[in-house]
Amino acid sequence: MSEEERNVVAPEQVPVADSIVARFGNALRTDDRDGYEGYVVSVESLKDVATVLRDELGYDYLSSVTGVDYFDEGKIEVVYHAYQTSGGPALNFKVQVDRENPILPSLVSVYPGADFQEREIFDMYGVSFEGHPNLRRILMWDGFAGHPLRKDWQEAYFEEENKPFDSRWPGGDVKRSEAENRFGKNVSYPDEFDIDNWAPEDDSSLYAGLNKSGSNGKKLKTDSLVVNMGPQHPSTHGVFRMVVALDGETITDLQPVMGYLHRNHEKIGERNTFLQNMPYTDRLDYLSSMSNNLGYSLAVEKLMGVDVPERAEYLRVLMAELTRVSNHMWAIGFLLNDLGAFQTPALYAIRARELILDIFEATAGSRMMCNYMRFGGVARDLPDTLRDENTVDFIGDLVNERLPAAIDELDRFLTGNEIVRSRCIGVGVLPADKAIAYSTAGPLLRASGVPYDLRRAEPYSIYDRLDFEVCTRSNGDVYDRYVVRIDEMRESVKICQQVMREIPEEGEIFTGKPQYNVRVPKGESYGRVENPKGELGYYVVSKGKTNPYRYHVRAPSFINLTVLGEMCKGHKVADAVVILGSIDIVLGEVDR
Amino acid sequence: MLLQELLRDYLPIAILLFVATGMAFAMVALGHLFGPRRDGKAKLMPYESGMTPIGSAVRRMPVRYYLIAVLFVLFDIEVIFLLPWAVVLRKLGLFGLIEMLVFVTILLVGYIYVWKKGALEWE
Amino acid sequence: MSPVIGIVIEAIIKSALMVFVLATAFAYLTLAERKIAAFVQVRKGPNRVGPWGLMQPAADGIKLLFKEEMVPAGADKVLFFLAPILTMIPAMVIMAVVPIGPDVELFGRSIRLGISDLNVGMLYILSVASVAVYGIVLAGWSSANKYSLLGGLRASAQMISYEIALGLSIIGPIILAGTMSLQGIITAQQQSTWYVLWQPVGALVFFLAGLAEVNRAPFDMPEAEQELTAGYFTEYSGMKFSLFFMGEYIKMVAVCAIATTLFLGGYLGPYVEQLPWLGILYFTIKTTALLFLMIWIRLTLPRLRYDQLMAFGWKVLLPLALANVVVTATATVLLG
Repeated sequence: MSEEERNVVAPEQVPVADSIVARFGNALRTDDRDGYEGYVVSVESLKDVATVLRDELGYDYLSSVTGVDYFDEGKIEVVYHAYQTSGGPALNFKVQVDRENPILPSLVSVYPGADFQEREIFDMYGVSFEGHPNLRRILMWDGFAGHPLRKDWQEAYFEEENKPFDSRWPGGDVKRSEAENRFGKNVSYPDEFDIDNWAPEDDSSLYAGLNKSGSNGKKLKTDSLVVNMGPQHPSTHGVFRMVVALDGETITDLQPVMGYLHRNHEKIGERNTFLQNMPYTDRLDYLSSMSNNLGYSLAVEKLMGVDVPERAEYLRVLMAELTRVSNHMWAIGFLLNDLGAFQTPALYAIRARELILDIFEATAGSRMMCNYMRFGGVARDLPDTLRDENTVDFIGDLVNERLPAAIDELDRFLTGNEIVRSRCIGVGVLPADKAIAYSTAGPLLRASGVPYDLRRAEPYSIYDRLDFEVCTRSNGDVYDRYVVRIDEMRESVKICQQVMREIPEEGEIFTGKPQYNVRVPKGESYGRVENPKGELGYYVVSKGKTNPYRYHVRAPSFINLTVLGEMCKGHKVADAVVILGSIDIVLGEVDR
Repeated sequence: MLLQELLRDYLPIAILLFVATGMAFAMVALGHLFGPRRDGKAKLMPYESGMTPIGSAVRRMPVRYYLIAVLFVLFDIEVIFLLPWAVVLRKLGLFGLIEMLVFVTILLVGYIYVWKKGALEWE
Repeated sequence: MSPVIGIVIEAIIKSALMVFVLATAFAYLTLAERKIAAFVQVRKGPNRVGPWGLMQPAADGIKLLFKEEMVPAGADKVLFFLAPILTMIPAMVIMAVVPIGPDVELFGRSIRLGISDLNVGMLYILSVASVAVYGIVLAGWSSANKYSLLGGLRASAQMISYEIALGLSIIGPIILAGTMSLQGIITAQQQSTWYVLWQPVGALVFFLAGLAEVNRAPFDMPEAEQELTAGYFTEYSGMKFSLFFMGEYIKMVAVCAIATTLFLGGYLGPYVEQLPWLGILYFTIKTTALLFLMIWIRLTLPRLRYDQLMAFGWKVLLPLALANVVVTATATVLLG
């Protein structure tokens, strides 16, 4: 691939106009560390800089906020990635605070989408954000001691900073932490634990923050009812919890609560080697592991500066787009389940998905946890035969005949259905400006009329050469999200057809020699892809070793939930479930 | 004679009621007999998606439900009036028809009033 | 032998038979629903217990029998115990007035295939149907659980709302037959034809309101899994739970049986006068067809939202049923 095309993968930072840099003087300077890009902003002027960026330069979309603990320097750095919804590369600005007393101004008033992400940084790094409306822990429980992503925090059964651990490799001597766990088999409680008098955590602060009075100003007052929906609830798509304040059947306030599936993915990521993280990304959004792989590969390839062979690029795109189809099939099937259909639409929706999974299985070796991409290519080429058929014919038949037919079937039965329409149209409306402000991504953003698709806004891989439309709708309700998903499946199938026509017959699928321990040059990089659920970003910091110094996932499911409470207010309880279904979350990604 | 007719018509129903009740109680009793019982404080907490319930579940409910109940009583009585009328409609002829049309019209006015007042809107 | 003892013996035998048949119907209806669901959804369905999974209901029943029954803390214990029983009994008793065949000769006695034939049969059905709501409200209220409470309230509001449409829709057949006795209505249909032809709107309203009355999809709001987990029976387990389940399915059978009687000619069919026992077969076939329709609807349609459901009942079904009554009455009087 030529040097020019490489630039598409790793775009250069667009410089902020000199006049603005001059206006802030010392408060805004270019980040001149080796391998770093963007600007460093002083704590005092952070809010002003953000406001100017948003209002004067058009960086209206705050993609990612995350922290990095530079332990040796005694600093915690908070990194912001802002984008223009008209497209183009990121503007990356950071702010550094003292580790011992980290206090920052909150950017929620400028970018409401920073809400959950700042809470996450507070939770993980202990950075206080002044002016944040609801600064509580978000992934860990309220009584948790410490901040897990700080470099001096060590998990239970801690062995070493970095994998591979000496005790296991290269000798192959496996010692499992579970074996040391005194309730490893989960048959007894510790001596001091008394199940009968055990009281679960107290959520009084959470409940107190709810708006319990209906806004309709009725004369007859009724008791408001606060109901927990989740974590153990049939329709929250996993262990997700919504605390709902109800006036009759109408929602007056809704607070999402998550973290029940939190496994500190990012800390594990810092212990792992770069390559070891690849299978871990599968477990984020476990319905679209192929695209998760792709995003992580892009982030690390940017740092390593490796090229990806032509055939591998086509394979990556093919897999990513098939993933999109299968994910949207599930999303629509589940949405119908949330509407109260008795599984039938869901099971029809995933019939074609099985064939897609067959391709994944034959190629990558696994149906869901694919672990397929590598830095500089893919792990395996397509097999010769699949289900006793020539693989190319099988895929060709799938993308030319069966998938279009399956999508048409869904469209025919569901799009015009009276009950679907009456339940979805006008429900959970999200206006375009709010969708941008809250950093929503994916079909949620596009259904609100914002034509923002990373495959067009900042093309990666070979998407700039492919012909497809960015699907948008204008009303931003549940129905539009559904229709956008249907349209996107059609576009994905179109892309797959092009890929199958244009893919080089023969060719390398990997650059260089496959290595177990890749050494990644110093620096930071932010790789992002248009995942089926929205923008999936990986922020990776390398110190030149075999392990990432920082590994952050900008999870679309997580950030899309920021706006959930806002969308549900004034609707009925039943609508909350449908709105949640239309956002399409996977808890593996929300809680990480 | 009348007593015997009543007996012939209603005694079997009473017997069915008795048998059905017996079966229902028997089922519960059997479950009680065979089912294990291991109570615990946390286990007997009312289910609220795995969280400790906040506040009591027994409380004042939205007035909507009472309104529906009142409307139900009104219209259900209408149905009860219509039932015997329907049986003898052929005998009553035109007179009965007009009589009932007047009744239905009055009710219809009330129905339209209730609708316009917004009592049928759920918010 | 005094006639009273004869009545009692006959009634006891018939009642026991009726309860047995309904309980069996319930068991196999659950299996049928699962099998049909599997067929519709390109799956296999239960096929491990016995041939074609035919013993599955027995296995389920035994499992439920050995399940722990919990009474949540804070629950009203007496009402919590009574609620499932109060739900099941009306479902069984409502079938008392439905004739499942013509009178037959057995042991020299003329036996009526049905428990009783009241001259106020339809009134009986309406009143027993109203009683069914008590069990559900009490279950919701006594559980001390928010989902149950909401589910119980929704159920009661929904059931009483649709009861009006249900009550109005049966007036059409009564006008046409001139009697409230179900046997009389069938006899009248024998002389003319199935009332579904004369009363298509009435039949439709009856079926829809019946679906709502037994809380079946798309009107299964009270137990809407998506928001209320299981609605009013969230806290129930073991045999008490199965009583609710049983009540729901037997109510389905009852609604379909009554619809068959009112609109599909009940046990009528070819050669039924020569061979009265055939009546039972015709009756079963018609009822089963309606049951299949109910299951099919559940497998096909998403659920309405609660406010939409109430609006449909009050603003669509009620005026429709009322108009049907007025048109039927006018036509009957004017055209004879």
